Amino acid sequence: MANIAAKRVKREIKEVMKSEEIMGGAFKLELINNSWTELQGEITGPPDTPYESGKFLLEIKVPETYPFNPPKIRFITKIWHPNVSSVTGAICLDILKDQWAAALTLRTVLLSIQALLSEAEPDDPQDAVVARQYKEYPSIFAMTATHWTNVYAEGKKAIVDYNRRVQVLLEMGVEEHQARVALSTHNWNLEVATEELFS
Amino acid sequence: MIFLFTKQCPLSHTFPPESKRTNKMSAESDMEYSDNDGDDYDYYGEQDDCDMETVDRTKADPEYFLYSCLRVEEVEKLLNESIELLSNSLQITPSLAKVTLHAYEWNAQEIINKYKENANEVLVYSRVKSRVALGQAGSSRASCAVCASTPHLPKYSALACGHYFCNDCWSMHFEVQIKQGVSNTIQCMAQDCEVIAPEDFVLSHVTKPTLRERYQQFMFKDHVKSHPQLRFCPGPNCQWIFQAWAREGARRVECRGCELLTCFSCGAPHHAPTDCATIRRWLTKCADDSETANYISAHTKDCPKCQICIEKNGGCNHMQCGACRHDFCWVCLGDWKTHGSEYYECSRYKEDPNLANDSQHAQAREALKKYLHYYERWENHARSLKLEEQTLANLKRRINQKVMAGQGTWIDWQYLWDAARLLKRCRYTLQYTYPFAYYMEIGPRKELFEYQQAQLEAEIENLSWKVERAETTHRGDLENQMDIAEKRRTTLLKDFLEFNTKSISGSSKV
Repeated sequence: MANIAAKRVKREIKEVMKSEEIMGGAFKLELINNSWTELQGEITGPPDTPYESGKFLLEIKVPETYPFNPPKIRFITKIWHPNVSSVTGAICLDILKDQWAAALTLRTVLLSIQALLSEAEPDDPQDAVVARQYKEYPSIFAMTATHWTNVYAEGKKAIVDYNRRVQVLLEMGVEEHQARVALSTHNWNLEVATEELFS
Repeated sequence: MIFLFTKQCPLSHTFPPESKRTNKMSAESDMEYSDNDGDDYDYYGEQDDCDMETVDRTKADPEYFLYSCLRVEEVEKLLNESIELLSNSLQITPSLAKVTLHAYEWNAQEIINKYKENANEVLVYSRVKSRVALGQAGSSRASCAVCASTPHLPKYSALACGHYFCNDCWSMHFEVQIKQGVSNTIQCMAQDCEVIAPEDFVLSHVTKPTLRERYQQFMFKDHVKSHPQLRFCPGPNCQWIFQAWAREGARRVECRGCELLTCFSCGAPHHAPTDCATIRRWLTKCADDSETANYISAHTKDCPKCQICIEKNGGCNHMQCGACRHDFCWVCLGDWKTHGSEYYECSRYKEDPNLANDSQHAQAREALKKYLHYYERWENHARSLKLEEQTLANLKRRINQKVMAGQGTWIDWQYLWDAARLLKRCRYTLQYTYPFAYYMEIGPRKELFEYQQAQLEAEIENLSWKVERAETTHRGDLENQMDIAEKRRTTLLKDFLEFNTKSISGSSKV
């Protein structure tokens, strides 16, 4: 079975190299260690979303039974999104689970993940905290996602106010990512975040 | 005022709707067991002629429920009959008939009727055919989209959706799916295509004998699970399968193999008089509150008189302290003398009337106290039931010894065995009255229930006491006690078992 998997992955990479997405810079796909079992993908945040201009790295693991089983994909770059765990980067996407079909390719999967960034599914969340913020405070969610894109994914748009608040906690001796998570979780309420960090 | 609710309870006499239902069932069952080859699957026939025998059985046993306990081969035969019927009347392969039956929950008649109206709709709904027209859905046979190789034309195949893939990929696809336990719902490999691969197609691509066998095993399990009239016995390694015709309310079925009592409707251990939703809530609650449950489930109690530590070694709750000979009740630790009278009330929980004005904290404590009250009794009877199991085993041994020693035959001692079995049955019901009472709203109905529950409990303890001392108890006395306990049990079930009371509450509103 491993034969089919290797053959498929090789062909898929060739196909992606020629595709218009590579030309347009929408995503990248490359082998790691020259083995077909592990790949790294990169997708660009879609325009007019909080993820715009961000570069998000993906870890792609191809099982031996590929393409009869789906590839295992997670975000390496930290991202604030209802369907992606802000801790592990695990993705909640139907075609990566029960809706996988052998005829799907890595290219179609990457396109689907990109589409997920434009259109989240908050009713089927991977990260409950993010999903709640998405539903209850959409504007805070959008700013938080933009902020994370800026800090972790080279996004161009900075949220000055949020940077300042993280800075306040840094001066108290809190680790940077921990400070950001606490603030993001508590809708950027400095007092509540501080209380949680020091309790 | 509680005495108002004695035997003359007006509610316990209304029964016509229930007997009607039983008639229907008996008519159905006649059809099921008849020898004609009509294979008529219309279980919901309208015949209403009276069948006295089953009516009587429901009166004697309010839990009476028509079911049969089948072997795997019998169920296979039953399923094959439906498959054959459908494939003959629609002129489709048995494999396609299976897919369709699975989709329509084995209602062959419904499929036949719908097929006459709109055959295409039935096939699309069953996912035999694609909703999209063939021309659009189909794929080329130039190369296989899955493995990227280009085998010769004859080595391609496709389902009704027309998505062609090479045979090697199909067999690999099926192997992976079967190994993951999928059988009836293996889909086409194309993107967004929901068409299901029928059995013959799968088997034509799977050659390994072990894999074929596994596929057919999973298939059978899936068929039983999707069949509304069938349910596997949940006993460990048990192979028996129940067949029955109703799936609502607490329905008792007993396995012929492992003797486990199961509720046919929900698959949980049988739980009359509590209904399926309530018992689920109760069991979840008990699992959640395991911390407190651990605390409660200490297995020993102190004698209320001399404080000596006592471990319970029998099912009976009428305890006699080995040290000081004090008779007391294991449940409430009160003097047993007060339990002998008609006013047995240690099963009743007394709600504090001044509760409304108290703080939230006090209310929470009260809620916990209430829960513990019911939980303790529920747990206690569950433990007693286990011990009763031992009593039953001991009794069997003792009877065998007597028979061997020439003191009468099994028939002479049968009544002891019957008594112990009856005791087990009564205590089982009693255990399941506690979740019922816990979720009941306060009111005259709850008072009536707890009154009957107390009556039942008192008689069960009497019976338990007598069964444990069976050799010294007079046979007539024991049989009399058996009769009383069973009457109390059936009265309670008649008045409170959901499908019995539904019709009553309907008519009493008039």
